[in-house]
Amino acid sequence: MYVNELEYALLTFLEQQSGEITVGELATSLGKDQSQVSATCISRAEWVEVREEERLWLRLGKKAQPFVEGGFPERKIIEALEKLGGQGDLNAVAEKAGITAQDVGQSLRFLKSKGWAEQQAKTLILTEQGKQAIGSTGADERLLEALKSGEQESSALQDAVEGLKLLQGRTGVVEERPRTLRWVKLSEPGKAAVRQGLESRTQVNQLTQEMMISGEWRQVDFRPYDVSLASEAVYPGKEHPFVSIIQQTRKVFLELGFEETVSPYVESSFWDFDALFQPQDHPARDMQDTFYISKPEQCKLPRQEWVDEVGATHRDGGRTGSLGWRYDWNDKLIKQPVLRTHTTASSIRALAENPNPPRKVFCVGPVFRRETVDYKHLPVFHQVDGIIIDEKASFASLLGTLQAFYRKMGFQKFQFRPAFFPYTEPSVEIFVWSDRKEDWVEMGGAGVFRPEVTEPFGCKVPVLAWGLGLERLAMFRYELGSIGELYRARLNWLKETPLCR
Amino acid sequence: MPVIGIPVDLLLERVKTQPGRQELVEHLQHLGCDVEGYATMRRFACGRCGNLMEITETENPPVVCDRCGTDFKSSPEQLSAAGEKDVVRMELLAVRPDMFDPGGLARTLRNYFKETLDSPGYPSKASEYVVTVEEGLEQRPYIACAVVRNLKLDDDKIRVIMKLQENLHWALGRDRKRASIGVYDLDTLQGKQFRYTSVGPEEIEFAPLGYSAGEKWTPARVLKEHTKGTAYARLIQNHPRYPILLDEGQQVMALIPIINSESTKVSKNSTNFFIDVTGLEERIVNKTLNTIVTSMLELDPGAGLETVKIASGPNAHNTPDLTPQPAILNPKTAASRLGVPLDRDGVSECLRRMGHEVHERPDGNLDVKVPAYRNDILHEVDLIEDVAIAYGYHNIVPTLVPTLTVGAEQPLEIAAQAARASLTGLGYLEVLTLILSNEAAQYDFLGRPRQNKHVVIQLPISQDQTMVRVSLLPGLLDTLSVNTDHELPQRIFEVGNISLLDESETGASEHRRLAAAAIGPRVDFAGMRATCEALLREFGYRLETRASLDPVFLPGRGAEVWGHRGEQAVHLGLLGEIHPQWLEHYGLGHPAAAFELDFAALGSC
Repeated sequence: MYVNELEYALLTFLEQQSGEITVGELATSLGKDQSQVSATCISRAEWVEVREEERLWLRLGKKAQPFVEGGFPERKIIEALEKLGGQGDLNAVAEKAGITAQDVGQSLRFLKSKGWAEQQAKTLILTEQGKQAIGSTGADERLLEALKSGEQESSALQDAVEGLKLLQGRTGVVEERPRTLRWVKLSEPGKAAVRQGLESRTQVNQLTQEMMISGEWRQVDFRPYDVSLASEAVYPGKEHPFVSIIQQTRKVFLELGFEETVSPYVESSFWDFDALFQPQDHPARDMQDTFYISKPEQCKLPRQEWVDEVGATHRDGGRTGSLGWRYDWNDKLIKQPVLRTHTTASSIRALAENPNPPRKVFCVGPVFRRETVDYKHLPVFHQVDGIIIDEKASFASLLGTLQAFYRKMGFQKFQFRPAFFPYTEPSVEIFVWSDRKEDWVEMGGAGVFRPEVTEPFGCKVPVLAWGLGLERLAMFRYELGSIGELYRARLNWLKETPLCR
Repeated sequence: MPVIGIPVDLLLERVKTQPGRQELVEHLQHLGCDVEGYATMRRFACGRCGNLMEITETENPPVVCDRCGTDFKSSPEQLSAAGEKDVVRMELLAVRPDMFDPGGLARTLRNYFKETLDSPGYPSKASEYVVTVEEGLEQRPYIACAVVRNLKLDDDKIRVIMKLQENLHWALGRDRKRASIGVYDLDTLQGKQFRYTSVGPEEIEFAPLGYSAGEKWTPARVLKEHTKGTAYARLIQNHPRYPILLDEGQQVMALIPIINSESTKVSKNSTNFFIDVTGLEERIVNKTLNTIVTSMLELDPGAGLETVKIASGPNAHNTPDLTPQPAILNPKTAASRLGVPLDRDGVSECLRRMGHEVHERPDGNLDVKVPAYRNDILHEVDLIEDVAIAYGYHNIVPTLVPTLTVGAEQPLEIAAQAARASLTGLGYLEVLTLILSNEAAQYDFLGRPRQNKHVVIQLPISQDQTMVRVSLLPGLLDTLSVNTDHELPQRIFEVGNISLLDESETGASEHRRLAAAAIGPRVDFAGMRATCEALLREFGYRLETRASLDPVFLPGRGAEVWGHRGEQAVHLGLLGEIHPQWLEHYGLGHPAAAFELDFAALGSC
């Protein structure tokens, strides 16, 4: 059987022993490090029996040095007392002993506990016991003397018990160090294994370039690892989870043959509202709901013919066959800049620029509403807007496109409900089924652009349109408690959120 | 959107088909109602005006009467419990005010269930009542009136009318601005020649609704002291004279559009009613009258309608005018626009189920008569939506447009993805930060002087969000500041837009930026420069850094980033070690370095 070199030496040595041997002795005999030998014995538990005993070891502490060199002050005191005729004033004693008054004060408790002197007011009187102590040594003094040569096991020291008792109250003079003493011997299977014959092979931790070059790797054993152990956690750099949703959204519409468009965050009221047939007194245009902008102060207007057509449509339907809203349309209000309230502004711009079918256009981006911040609302959120300009487009194909999108985003069950938006007819709200909430959740609005929206820009074919919120997809997918977690994110959350789920 | 509770008993007593509770919810949803569910409402009555108020189980009893304005905190004896009512709660569908009340909603359901396939004609005869519109009403020029007789009311039905009035004020009236409604007990009115005129603030006295008949309030006092007066004073107080409706005996019927008089108020013993609607837009005024009058008639089949003559100078006309609105629909257009297999008869049936009268024309098209209470039919497409709703959105088979088109993404997005790939490969985590920011963050705490090139929000919600950002760095520093308990080093980046004022059509444009930041004990200029160099390499640039004095960086540790491609050198942005002053401001305790690059300059991928 193959074992490593240390195991080989250890097992064959133990086989020669008649009884137990300490690990320390074993290490010395093998000329190896004791901890390495100990670990090897433990790792070969089936072959080596290990018996443990708790032992106390003593050694001089950090505060021992002055006492080792000069002896204890109480001994100097009794010697001085003797010279002073058996008693003396505290100060006189200090002077005679050659120590400070403070030392004398600190020694009083030891003089008393050893029974060497008694204090009466400011006078110290040497006792009979004290007289006898002169010229002899105490257990504590003998213990210090014995430990001068180094650390010793307490059971091997005669004065250990008594000495430690006397040293109580003198911390740091002798340190006590409990240690486990291990006795080892070969077990019966161990003996059998050795008798059957062992062969030694070098065991290495790390495969090296040298081993590869020399071919030494063929002669060695590689130390097996505990492969069940945990390793250090590392994290890749990665895309923000919400960006993943935006990218997935873009991918879906690109796959469906859509071209991507963009439009400015600061938008004129003309494009954000009027071009979408939103009447000028509509509550959505209120200062309470929309961010109006003080700089830039005004937007320029696009082509005059567009402005004229849109105005006429609001007033009386213009050339669209609609009754229009029949009110006094104000062409001053249309220059008011706002932070775009929906990406539908991008869609209508794209339509105006090129109304010729067939076209499919989408836009993903932030929109701005004057919302009070709560767990579901931020003043900025993201939408995907899309339009299909196509002779063959129908309300049914709008529903199909929405369904295709939400399928690809991971939803299975859909509901379409009638809705109202000023710029689409028919209009629809899409709901998806949430297993977690056990309810239908509204995801966004869509519809077929009204002729009042498309015809002023010269588009006569059906235009399917939608504006879908993306944050709620993120809240679903990442089970967010609050929409604010997407921004000022905790890095921990970013690291722990899987790219795929 | 306000939520309304339709009493289930009142709704179903007018419908033959008796759907189950869940079934009813589904039908209402298919009709476009946003149904919240069923609820038991607790009711309270106002002792002063008799108004019934409803609250849900979780709401507190009313503190003010929403009709006469009585304050129940100072007069608790005026508020009494009035039992419970089972209702179906739904959000109001603003475009269908004809479905705001049980009468109107039952009418919709009867058609939808094909119980009746004609809209009720609401025959009327001319009454002898005349309202003369006098001079001086520029602030509220239009009025339309009607008389309804033999309508038997109880507390429930009075409440229905009051609630409908309130909701029409919201949906059509824009909080009484465009239109407001008054309903009076006809039998309390004197004579038949009424006047819609104007008075000075102190010119007349009357007892407003909720106050005993002897009390004398001038219009000025009503605007100042009455709860409805203070709520709606803004609608008339900018004009020296206030609109008022007087009967032939000079009795004040209402200070318009604020409050009715106590002496003309409706009680459950009232059977004959006078209704007025005033406002700024004639079309809305007429539509509002049509809606309230027809819904009232739906409450009692025995009730009858009479028109009122409105005389204005030499002109006179009768209101309400319930003549249906004519429209023509091509059934083939309807079917193809919806993508549903409906023939002419199918389209006709759908329209009838939505309450329209339909006749076939010789040319195959349909003559449609839209009931006068519908406010939302502007164009053929509105009828097509009605066809879709009657057909049922849930019955439409989703398809895809058969035409092939070629997808194309924005070049900037392709480049952005390449930048993400490079930086994530270098171990950087992508973050998102808020687009709205403030001048302190965007300038002061980067040590940069404030500039005038940014978009300013007129009415910010908070002082934190007064402008659109001009740099991504503050957002990155802010993100680091909320992660100081996270292990170091931290490496983050953002790809995002900033906005700058310019001469474009809207006056401001977006610029795509890329910013990265790192913080940790060993973060320094050289490491950040290496990251920036690696990124530029992926875009085909060789990096050159030139000393910069930008105060966001430690002096001597900031650089302009220049990219070289062949002979060309482009200024791309800035790079450096963040000045400890700004680290300290953000509560950051380790060295940090960052760069911010202009994406457009970095170019396409």
